[in-house]
Amino acid sequence: MAYYIAIGSSDGKRTDLKFGEVSEFSIYLVEGRDYEFYEKRPVGDVFEKKEEKKDTCDTKCSSGCSGGGHGCGGSEEVSAKVDAIADCRCVVCKKVGFQAQKQFEKKAISVFDIECDIDEAIDKISAYYDKIDNKRSLKA
Amino acid sequence: MAKLLDKQRYKCALAAMQTVQAIDRALPILHSGPGCAQKLSDTNGSSGYFSPNIFPCTSINEKDVVFGGVKKLNSTIENALKVVDADLYVVLTGCIPEIVGDDSGEVVSRFEDAEKPVIYAPTAGFKGNNYKGHEQVVDAIIEQYLKKSDKKQKGLVNIWADVPYQDLFWLGNLRALENLVSELGLTPNTIFGYNRGIENIKKIPEAEFNLLVSPWVGLGNVKKMERKFGTPYLHYPTLPVGATETSKFLREVGKFAGVAEEKVEAVIKEHEDYYYYLIGRYADLFLENRVINKQFTVVADAQYSLGITKFLVNDLGLIPAKQFVVDDTPKNYRDQIAEEFKKLNYGIEAEVSFETDGYKIHEEIKSHDYHGYPLVLGGYYEKEVTEDLKGNFLNISWPVQDKIVFDRSYVGYEGGIRLIEDIYTIAVSRFN
Repeated sequence: MAYYIAIGSSDGKRTDLKFGEVSEFSIYLVEGRDYEFYEKRPVGDVFEKKEEKKDTCDTKCSSGCSGGGHGCGGSEEVSAKVDAIADCRCVVCKKVGFQAQKQFEKKAISVFDIECDIDEAIDKISAYYDKIDNKRSLKA
Repeated sequence: MAKLLDKQRYKCALAAMQTVQAIDRALPILHSGPGCAQKLSDTNGSSGYFSPNIFPCTSINEKDVVFGGVKKLNSTIENALKVVDADLYVVLTGCIPEIVGDDSGEVVSRFEDAEKPVIYAPTAGFKGNNYKGHEQVVDAIIEQYLKKSDKKQKGLVNIWADVPYQDLFWLGNLRALENLVSELGLTPNTIFGYNRGIENIKKIPEAEFNLLVSPWVGLGNVKKMERKFGTPYLHYPTLPVGATETSKFLREVGKFAGVAEEKVEAVIKEHEDYYYYLIGRYADLFLENRVINKQFTVVADAQYSLGITKFLVNDLGLIPAKQFVVDDTPKNYRDQIAEEFKKLNYGIEAEVSFETDGYKIHEEIKSHDYHGYPLVLGGYYEKEVTEDLKGNFLNISWPVQDKIVFDRSYVGYEGGIRLIEDIYTIAVSRFN
């Protein structure tokens, strides 16, 4: 079954952006071991909205723990960004903060925080999912 | 075919971290998922220096499965060397890195020149249980840390016994074996427990011989040492509990080490005199059939199952019902161990079953006619079934839930007396 992978990249070659730095994710469509670039998905406007809101909100709004009164809901900024790629099976960024990782975990989206070539990342990830989906051993 | 295993009595090979923990100032570094150490650590004491909660661990996750975890292992070892003050660092690998093919051995070899020794033992759970894991750790020490020595110390004997922490009485048992060997005028060398550690490990190649007191655990280790260091070994399969077996043990060790017979016999006599004085004082109790029945079952690993069966038959005159060995003894050792169960006094032979499934063991205990209250010595799992049968139960093997053991021992003359005390304390308390 085909799935999407969201990648944080500044140049379309390497997974060189931290999750927080991404303004648009590169989305790849993967089918078995084959993959292709699917689209750029901007998440920039999520930031803008947040900037406006911040002025009228006390500091608790961006605290992951209090979550603006929503317990472990995470900050809205992170949540919105996570929601933007909620249809993806996994996300690859240079670094992903603890709070965001937890948000992805809740949505059963895997997080790979690694800096490498996009081709290498997708190749390894698709090989992994291909084995899992076809119930084959992960044995190297 | 996959099957369910009910009430298993051992853990995965990674639990060999307890073997490392038993070596003074040795630190396990775990290349495993988060939580492995937590699940594998028992409540029966830490090393006194490191708690399992601080064992450095790579805590590998999905990312490391996909991209490999060697980088993380490298940095974990590097930082452990910086911040944890230990004498020996032992990298242990769990299932995940070995399945996905991390070359942990290669990473560890990068630390050959480190100030402190770093060695590596593959302890993936699918390779075996913690009895095998224990052997892997000792193998790693022999292969990667020790070198052949031209110097041999006269009378120095390395003593190897069963698995620390898995065996609740490991510390006391080792000390008791040391004392027995010392009384023969030999110098014992063990690596586990207080005040032993790295200095004793270094002495291993200098020993005159290795003494292995275990039915099968460690046999591979002493054979390896024979090949690598040219050290001969004496394999004494029975844990010596009580007078009969301990005297046999002393005679055999004395003969192997070339100790004068008169000296051995003098040691034996002194101990036996006191031992039988104690037994004699309580002879009435032992002969009182109302207190304890004649038939017993031991459910334990090979060392206790064999050692205690011999003790209860030879020293106390009890009759063995079926005995159970629950440590998943490798098949090639089973016949030899079963033979040992037939070498009992008065021509008695014990039937033994190598069974790891607690359900089946309990069914057999329930269906056997013990001609009265059964006496069951086993893991905590046997408590309920014994109580249902109105029997006497003593928890001597893993899992242990109803006692704390610091350094007590069931080994030797004194150990036999301790075991009698424990059994009869339970038996008499029901008539209060």
